[in-house]
Order: sequence, then C-alpha cells, then structure tokens
Amino acid sequence: MSIKRAIALIILFYFLALLQTSFLVHFNMGRWLGWTPNLIFILVIFWSLFGKSEDFLGVFNALIGGFFLDVFSNRIIGFNILILLAIVLFIKLVFKKYVRIPTLKKT
Amino acid sequence: MRLFSKKSKFSQKNKFLLGVLIIILFVLVLNFFQKEVKTFFYTISSPLQESLWGIGDRASDFCRGIVEIKEIKNKANELCLKNQRLLAEIAILSQLKKENKILREALGINLQKDFKLTLAEVIGKDISQDFILINKGSEDGILEKMPVITQQKSLVGKISEVYKNFSKVMLVSNKKCAFDAKIQEKNISGLVKGKGNFKILLDFVPQNEKISQEDIVITSSLGGLFPAGLLVGQIEEVKKSDIEPFQQVKIKPIFNIKEINFLFVITEY
Repeated sequence: MSIKRAIALIILFYFLALLQTSFLVHFNMGRWLGWTPNLIFILVIFWSLFGKSEDFLGVFNALIGGFFLDVFSNRIIGFNILILLAIVLFIKLVFKKYVRIPTLKKT
Repeated sequence: MRLFSKKSKFSQKNKFLLGVLIIILFVLVLNFFQKEVKTFFYTISSPLQESLWGIGDRASDFCRGIVEIKEIKNKANELCLKNQRLLAEIAILSQLKKENKILREALGINLQKDFKLTLAEVIGKDISQDFILINKGSEDGILEKMPVITQQKSLVGKISEVYKNFSKVMLVSNKKCAFDAKIQEKNISGLVKGKGNFKILLDFVPQNEKISQEDIVITSSLGGLFPAGLLVGQIEEVKKSDIEPFQQVKIKPIFNIKEINFLFVITEY
C-alpha cells in the first residue's frame, strides 16, 4: 500500500468520523431502521468483504476508522479499534478458510 | 525446502502476533495521552464540526417536518374518524333520550296500564294523502287495523298495511277512515269521518244536541274499531242547517302531525 493511498484513507476516515459524529447524529434513523447507520463500520466491513484477502488494507482501515471513531466519541481510545479489528480478522479468517474463489488455470 | 517453508509460516505467524501486540500497545499508549490526542483533533476539527452540526441540524429539521406532516395528517384522519363515531353515538343517544322522554310521558298517563303498546318511530309522512310510515312491521307483532296513538293518548289513525319492518298508518283524517265517537261528558254520539288534508268531521249528530266549541271528541267502543276513550280532537266549528237532519261538526285534531316523531301502536286492548 502506497503512502499516498494511506494518507487518502486517513483523510477519508477522518471526514467520515466527523460526518458520523456531527451530521448523522441529527437524523433519528432509529425511527425507521432501529439504529443509526455507522458509515465507518459499513465501509470497513465492505472493504474486508470485497477487498483482496491477502491485502493488509482491511486491518489498516479498521485501525484508522476505529481510531477516529474513538477520538470523536466519549469512549476510551481502542474500543472501536478492537471491535473493527476483530470483525475484519474474522472476515479474513472465514474467507481464507471456507471461501474458495474459482480461478482460471492457464493450460 | 520444507524446513524453509515451515520457518516462513512460523515467521508469518510471529509477524502477525507482533503486529497485534504493537497495535494493542499503541492503543494502550494512546490512552495515556487520551486527553491530549482528543484535544488536538477537536481543535483542528472544531470549525468543520460546527458547520457540519449546523447543516445536520437544519437538514434533520427539514426531514422531521416532512415526517411530521405525514403524522399530523394521519392524526387528523384518526380524529376525523373518531369525531364521526362520536357524532353517530350522540345521534343514537339523543334518539334514545327522545324515546325515553316519550315512554316516561306515556307512563305518566298510565298508557301502559290500559293497553299493550309498541313504540314506533315515524319514518315517512305523506300528509296530502293522510298516510304516515312507521318503523315497526310484522316482525314486531304489528297487524292491520291496530290503533295508533300519541303519548298523550290522542288517536292518530290505524294500521292499513303491514310490511316486514315498517307499516303504513292511515290517519283519522283520511277519506277512507270512519269510526264511532262521542263528545266527552255529554252523551252525544256521532260518526267521525276523514275529509282529507288533515280535516275531520263529526257527522250524524242530531240537530237538537247542544255542542260547544271547547268540547272534546273521544272514541267510543261502538264500532269496535278503536278502544273507547281515545282523544280524537276538539270541536272547531259547528254547522247547523234546517234542511239537514244532522249537525256537521268540524273537529280540530289535538296533535300536530308535522311535529310527531314517535307513536304508539296499541297491540292489545
């Protein structure tokens, strides 16, 4: 992963955390969905599901996303990081052990 | 080669564990400087946070407005339905109140003691034809020729046609209606004849009988059509002629047909 990409991701998660804590809190999504959607959680999980399994990007996303969520929340730093890390590692483990993506072999 | 592969796997696992340990340590260390870290980020983000907060506030207000309009509309509809239900209940209660009042009046003059009565509501009037419709029929035990009276014991007419749930009442003023009657407290008998248009006449009253305008005409049991003692009306005009063998007396009915809403059908007497 290039430094440029890493910086872009940090900026993206920073803005997402700001949106989550300053903008989305006003919308009482609970009325329709039962909970307020967490953009960072959704992005990290989707990235883990559809990103390359060998890539370190999922773990990096979990770290940065969780960190910014913790910074802008009242919880101790590490709470969201650990939750996201656990989710990402679980997805990676499941994909590595139980999901086989068929590949074409060159003859 | 195999040894190298095992070594590689081992180092991979070690690397992973090391990475996790570093992360945990990093997180723990960050917690020691939690206040400083948060202050730094809050300071650099506060202008953006403020504007985002304002936009969010306005946007959510706008959305809430849309949602609440729907809710208010729903509530208005609910209240409208409730109001209609209550109005219907009020109408039923006022109907019952009227019925209750009439029954109380009937009880007050011992009508129930003298006759077996069935309360009926007037559902249609054809005053020009001297007919009215009531809401009781054969299902309620109504039969033809049953007398119909008001709560003041005043004769209205008799049942002429009976249907399942309603009956036609021929008024005493109908041209086809004729029955025996007498003048109250005087032993003067005569034949009451309907003249149409709510006019009644007492005929066959001998010329020598003295009749005054305030006299009251009541039914007599002679014809057997109506029970004796029902009020027919008050004398309105007496026509005496030397040529005619009988006096002709105009009777003014005691009840006002236009104001009648409830009646009693005498089912037994």
